[in-house]
Amino acid sequence: MIEFKDVTFVHQNGVRALDSVSLEVGKGETVAVVGENGAGKTTLVKHVTGLLKPKSGKVLVDGVDTRETSTAQLSRKVGVAFQNPDHQLFSESVEKEMAFALRNFGFPPELVEKRVSWGLELFGLEEYRESSPLVLSGGEKKRLTLACILAWDPEVIILDEPTVGQDAIQKEKLAGTIRLLTSTGKTVVVVSHDIEFLWPIQPRVIVMKGGRILGDGMAAELMLRKDVLDSARVAQPQLVTFFEGLSRRPKATFADPLEVRRWAGGNR
Amino acid sequence: MGRILEIQRLNFRYPDSRKKAVVDFDLEVSEGEVVVLAGPSGCGKSTLLRAVNGLIPHMYTGEYSGEVKVAGSSVKDSSMRDLAQTVGFLFQNPENQIFMFTVERDVAFGLENLGVEREEMRRRVDEAIRLLGIEDLAQRAPHELSDGQKQRVALAGVLAMSPKLVILDEPTSLLDPRTAMELVDLVSRLRKELGTTFVVVEHRLELLVKVADRLVVMSGGTKVLDGTPRDVLFGDEAEGYGISVPAITRVQKMLAKDRLAPTERLLTAEELAARLGRGAA
Amino acid sequence: MMWLSGGFVFRRGTSVYHRLDPRVKLLISLLMFSVTLMVQALYQLAMVISVMVAVAAVATVLRRVARTMLLTASFSGFIFAINLLATGNLASSALYAVRFVAIVVSTSLFFITTSPDELEQVMKTFRLPRDVVFAFVTAVRFIPVMMLDTLQIMDAQKSRGLELEKGNLLKRVRNMVPILIPLVVNSVIRSGELAEAMESRAYGAVPKPTSLVKYRARPVDKAVTVLAILLFALTAYSFYFLLPAHFP
Repeated sequence: MIEFKDVTFVHQNGVRALDSVSLEVGKGETVAVVGENGAGKTTLVKHVTGLLKPKSGKVLVDGVDTRETSTAQLSRKVGVAFQNPDHQLFSESVEKEMAFALRNFGFPPELVEKRVSWGLELFGLEEYRESSPLVLSGGEKKRLTLACILAWDPEVIILDEPTVGQDAIQKEKLAGTIRLLTSTGKTVVVVSHDIEFLWPIQPRVIVMKGGRILGDGMAAELMLRKDVLDSARVAQPQLVTFFEGLSRRPKATFADPLEVRRWAGGNR
Repeated sequence: MGRILEIQRLNFRYPDSRKKAVVDFDLEVSEGEVVVLAGPSGCGKSTLLRAVNGLIPHMYTGEYSGEVKVAGSSVKDSSMRDLAQTVGFLFQNPENQIFMFTVERDVAFGLENLGVEREEMRRRVDEAIRLLGIEDLAQRAPHELSDGQKQRVALAGVLAMSPKLVILDEPTSLLDPRTAMELVDLVSRLRKELGTTFVVVEHRLELLVKVADRLVVMSGGTKVLDGTPRDVLFGDEAEGYGISVPAITRVQKMLAKDRLAPTERLLTAEELAARLGRGAA
Repeated sequence: MMWLSGGFVFRRGTSVYHRLDPRVKLLISLLMFSVTLMVQALYQLAMVISVMVAVAAVATVLRRVARTMLLTASFSGFIFAINLLATGNLASSALYAVRFVAIVVSTSLFFITTSPDELEQVMKTFRLPRDVVFAFVTAVRFIPVMMLDTLQIMDAQKSRGLELEKGNLLKRVRNMVPILIPLVVNSVIRSGELAEAMESRAYGAVPKPTSLVKYRARPVDKAVTVLAILLFALTAYSFYFLLPAHFP
């Protein structure tokens, strides 16, 4: 679905934000991108939507080279929920906010209506249909931006720091939404610092540092690689630390961290 | 130890709202404590914090009843000028509390406003900069700083005014985990070195449980739980109020059902692993 | 935009010129500016510009100034053409065109070597009210932040299928709405947060706030001031009384 072939990107100020990154994400995968601030996570995401084009190398989305198309066209396939909802909400009503992208993509009015209603229902926002998006709370705004994207049914969904400012209940719901998307065959990319949030989802994890990919593998394996996590300044999930502490001892109770998760109910 | 903060039956309603944001809230904080305030979004945490540093009722007016006392004097009857010297407030987004073009000048901002003499100001600014270990950033401009550095600069500006009580409003929400942990260590160090009292609003409890003396949970504008982090997190009610109970606590709760959990109620993964690995399980 | 940021945005430097008292730098730029207005012939202007180049060299910003000159020159070509069409006078048209470049360079020299902090200091010397100075400080401080905001908003809307470069003029103007509204909303949110933070740090507590740094004119500042005024007087005098208006 997404393919990076030896991609390098250098900012105007000379910072190498991506340094020969090669990466393949298949259809239906759930991928988490982690790393400290400035590691190149956002630059990576912007390459998928064509907001940035590689200085060298190639980015293919569903087989299309991002240099040969526009962001507006790519976004039909790739929906991105950026970190700050206030950077995109502008309509006079929640309903119109959701319809904005659908109109841009030329959906027929009946379909727009249907999709908007579906999205509002899915995210429990029906009561706000007519209200201004600006009166919503922070958590509701975040949900609205996600609803806006899902409404046009993109193949790839990218979430940039979706848990910032969200409380425990909202995070649970979000994790549920991500699982739902995965189960319907969508490709989901989550950029997040919140390792405790990511762990129960058990995604494939890409660890970045200084524009390079330092590690790439399933959470269950990669989160055991203390060397990788330390050099990328990524925290280890509590349950993994716990498991490691146990497995170093002779009477280890668990074969792998997934088992800890099942056993301790961490998969909620 | 003296009481630095006393809140008695505080009620507050914003003029444009039907519901009260804070309802019959009581809290007492002793000098030198680190108190974590948690609760779901919209539970009234931000309003409460603003009532402590005086933005309510001095900047935001509304229906106000009850009493908030900081270091013995009523917030309602004190001026913002006096309050600024007893209560420091680190807001969520450090970007919007850095005003000047160099770090050093920004750290001095509050002192300049108070009309502190230059030599005295120099001394206090240097001290705050040293405390936060940002000596090498002193001449930088705000846009040359990372998020974590901005956070430190903003905190230095708050500490330069030598407040007795410092409020941190979700200080780690924009930081990566390692930088967030460094901030938490800093809080614990400042409490030791300066005896400063901290009230911290935070969702990521797993980061703060190690340094907090108390965990206060708020819901619907009122205080619902108040105790040591251990008592609150291991209690039965915490999860119901929508706070993030750390995974390691949940593991022990699961284990307790099968009587496998250690009785100490441990807060970190390392401790728990060490304890269980000893063969008690 | 590039022209503006290259020509007028301060970047930190350590040259002798950067370290001059900001008021002296303002004076030098004002004097150079005035001299360009007094110039009567192209060769005189050439003299003035070479002084500017010399100052730029001392301030180690020669490359930036050269680029500004080059970019401005394309615009002054336009001035030259219009003048030539209107007056038919080659010499005076050239004078106008080159003078424009000189004016831009003299102003630019001040802005690229003077930090916003020093600008604030200059404003204080003119005894502007604290609120005015602070409003200016915050405005300049948040320019880069607002620019970043704008870029992020554009990214977000483009990712929702907004095509900024498509359609006729009316459509393009309408396409700006999804960019402008969030920009305004964000600025309102930001100013609310700034107000809270200002209150919390005792803004306005005393009528006469103190200042951490004090700019004191050093001997070198005084010497440079005297030298600049002398040179200015000499140049002005020679332009009017000694040198011919037309190069023989």
